[in-house]
Amino acid sequence: MIVTRFSLRQGISVLVILLVLVGAGCKSKKAAMDVTDPAAEKAKMEQEAAMRKQQEEETRRKQELEAEARAAEAKRKETEPYRKLDTYFSAIANASSLASANSSISEALSLFASKDTPVLIVISEENGQKDYDRPTTIGAYLNYLKDQKKSANKINQLQFDSAGKITEVELVTKN
Amino acid sequence: MIKYLYTLLAALFLSSGLLMAQTGEISPKRKQAIDSLALEKVKDLSKYISIIGNKKTPYSEATRVMDRAGELFAEGSEMGVSSLNHKDVTYYKVRAYFEHLIALNYDRVKIQWYDIHYISDLERQPDGRYVGVITIYQRFEGESDDGLKYKDTTKKDITIYVDRKKTQIAGRTVEFWDVLLGDIRVTETSQ
Repeated sequence: MIVTRFSLRQGISVLVILLVLVGAGCKSKKAAMDVTDPAAEKAKMEQEAAMRKQQEEETRRKQELEAEARAAEAKRKETEPYRKLDTYFSAIANASSLASANSSISEALSLFASKDTPVLIVISEENGQKDYDRPTTIGAYLNYLKDQKKSANKINQLQFDSAGKITEVELVTKN
Repeated sequence: MIKYLYTLLAALFLSSGLLMAQTGEISPKRKQAIDSLALEKVKDLSKYISIIGNKKTPYSEATRVMDRAGELFAEGSEMGVSSLNHKDVTYYKVRAYFEHLIALNYDRVKIQWYDIHYISDLERQPDGRYVGVITIYQRFEGESDDGLKYKDTTKKDITIYVDRKKTQIAGRTVEFWDVLLGDIRVTETSQ
């Protein structure tokens, strides 16, 4: 009975000691974790931040590229009729034959709302005031290029209708 | 002192602009552009005459070009025609001259204008029009298959009229310089 009581007391003591030790172990482990966590956490956070930054950078770059592509496409669409018309002007003025010139005239006229589309030619500009030659029509102007075999004016401005056809041309003398 | 100088210069600039506006005078730069425009019209006529005279030009094209060439002239303008074989100069209305040119009895005709220049600068007249004279030299060569050949060089004076006009384009008023060629007078004919 004494043995049993002793053993029970001893057992409780051992248990208490064990619990204290386990508790201390956990605490020291937690303490140890508390010591290593901030660095790891910091590294992790830094890594995540770097990744976020990289992703943001990639997104921004992608958006920039898309915007550049859109702007280039818009510019191409805007300048395309100018380029096309300029090419026709040269083709008509430098045509090797009457048939070739007439064919280019027919093709060029498809860009216009009508062959009577007005053509204004700026001969000089001073303080915002433009001096014009006598206005003509695109039909007459294209034939003029054919007859004179020279394209002495460059395209300054084009106006379009809702169908994308040219409704007015402003040229400016090259000299 | 500098401030006063600037004010004086600005006043002079403004007053010269106002004076120009009141008198209808134009700046040298604008005047030069009009001079060039008139010279260009004469060069255009030169090309049209060469096309009309060329026997290889299809009749339909020649007719169209005659219309375009006619638009360069003031109403009622005449063209002088001379020959080494005749003393007198014959004057035709412009359209009649072009038709005469088409009907020339040669198989090959070559007409070239060169040395195109002002002999009398464009001057503003009391009515606001600018009038000047441009001289050209015309080299004519006609040749027939039967051996008939004729060549001459003619010096011609072209009166130029430049007028400020207005027109309506897409509902707005556009002012422009209208260059019109007047009579073309023969002044010399040589071989």
